Amino acid sequence: MKVEIEDLEKIKFFEKFTEQQLETIASISSVREFAVKEIIFEQYDELKDIFVLLQGSMSLGISLPKDKRIHLGTIEEGQLFSWSAIFPPFISTAWVMAITPAKVIAIDARKLNAEIEKDCDFGFKTMSKIAQTISHRLSDTRFQLMNQLNL
Amino acid sequence: MTDNTNIYKPLRAKLTEVVEESPLIKTFVLIPEREFIFSTGQFIELSVDGVGEAPFTPSSSPLVTDKLEVTVMKTGYVTNIMHELKPGAVMGIRGPYGRGYPVKSFEGKEVLILGGGCGLAPIRSLLFTLEHMKDKLDKVILCYGSKSPTDCIYKPLFSRLNSIDKFEAYRTVDKAEDGWDGPVGVATSLLDKIKVKIENSVAVVCGPPIMMKFGTIRILEMGYRDDQIYLSMEKNMSCGLGKCGHCMMGEFFVCKDGPVFTYKEIKHNPEIWK
Repeated sequence: MKVEIEDLEKIKFFEKFTEQQLETIASISSVREFAVKEIIFEQYDELKDIFVLLQGSMSLGISLPKDKRIHLGTIEEGQLFSWSAIFPPFISTAWVMAITPAKVIAIDARKLNAEIEKDCDFGFKTMSKIAQTISHRLSDTRFQLMNQLNL
Repeated sequence: MTDNTNIYKPLRAKLTEVVEESPLIKTFVLIPEREFIFSTGQFIELSVDGVGEAPFTPSSSPLVTDKLEVTVMKTGYVTNIMHELKPGAVMGIRGPYGRGYPVKSFEGKEVLILGGGCGLAPIRSLLFTLEHMKDKLDKVILCYGSKSPTDCIYKPLFSRLNSIDKFEAYRTVDKAEDGWDGPVGVATSLLDKIKVKIENSVAVVCGPPIMMKFGTIRILEMGYRDDQIYLSMEKNMSCGLGKCGHCMMGEFFVCKDGPVFTYKEIKHNPEIWK
C-alpha cells in the first residue's frame, strides 16, 4: 500500500522534514498491516525495513533461553522501531509483536541509507531522530533497571 | 492550622475510613477537630500518639476543609503502625507547612504532570485543584507509571480524568501482569506520545527520586525551560519550621522553602537527586 505525504506529516518523527524530503521517504516506503499477535520480526532476525507505527500498538521484548519472552515496552503510534535495520550488521536487538491490529510505515532501509548518504540535511534529520529514539530506549532501560533493583 | 499557643501541638483528627490502594499503600480519611486549610503541594506531619510522626502531602482537595485524605506507603516503623490503624482511631496533624504549587501562575497554560509510584498522592490533590480551575487552563495531561498494575494507586482516577474536558490521563507499568492490556514501560516512555505546546506550558514532576531525575531530564529534552518545571521534593522533613535541619538541601530547608521548587532554583544543588 502506498504511503501518502499526509500520513507522514501527522507523525512527530517527521515534523522537521521538508515536503521534498517527505516525498523521498514516501517513495521508498509502503504501508503494511499486522494482525493481533503477529510477529513483525524476531530478535536476531536480519532486518530490511525501519518501521514507524501508524495505528495500533506493539510489544517490544527480548527472548531468553527456554523460549521465555520478556515484554520490555510498548510501542505507541508515531514511534519508530527496527532502527537496527540501518546499522551494520542489520540484526534486530529485540522482537516486536502486534498487540492490537496495527498499521505501520515500512521504510526500505537500504534505500534510506542511500538517501542519507546523498543528502546531508536529510541524513542529519533522520540520524538525529534515530539517535533520539535510541537515547530514549537507553535512558528508559536504565530507569527500568534501577526500579527493578530498587535503587 | 496548628494551635497558636504551641507550634508543635497537633490538631486531633478522627480516622473515619481506610482505603487499601495497593498492598503497601493505604489512604486515611480523617476528620479534623476543626477546619483544616492547606494549599495543594504543602505538607503536613501526621502522627500517632506515643509512636511518632512522619511528613505527607495530603492527597485530597484543598477545597474541602472539613475532611483530609492522606495516602501512606508502608516504609518504616511509624508507617507500619499507621497501616494497622482502624476507623475510629485518633491521629494528629501538624501544619500545613512549606510552599505548594503556584497554581495561579498555571492559568492560561497547559499543565503536564509526570508521576510515579506513591508520587501520585500529592498529584491527586493538585488534580482536584486544576479540575476546579479548568476553565482557566488550556489542558492538563497526566503521565503516570507504577511498577505493576497492582501497585497503581487511585485506579478509578484515570477513567474519571479522561472523562473531564481538557484532561488526558495515561498510565503505564514497568512489568505487566495477567489481565493488563495497557502500555508497558517506565513513566517517561509516555512522554513520547503526548502533544503539548511547550512554550505555553508548565511541567510538574513528583515521584521516587530516580523517576524525578530521569523525568526531569526527559522534560528538559522536550524543550521545557528549567523555570517551567516544578519538582515536589521529599527530603525527610521533620520540624516543618526550618529549625531542625533534617531536610536541608544546600541553602534550602525543604520544609520551609519547598517542598515545591522550580528546577531552576535547585538544579545546581548537589543533593537534588539524593
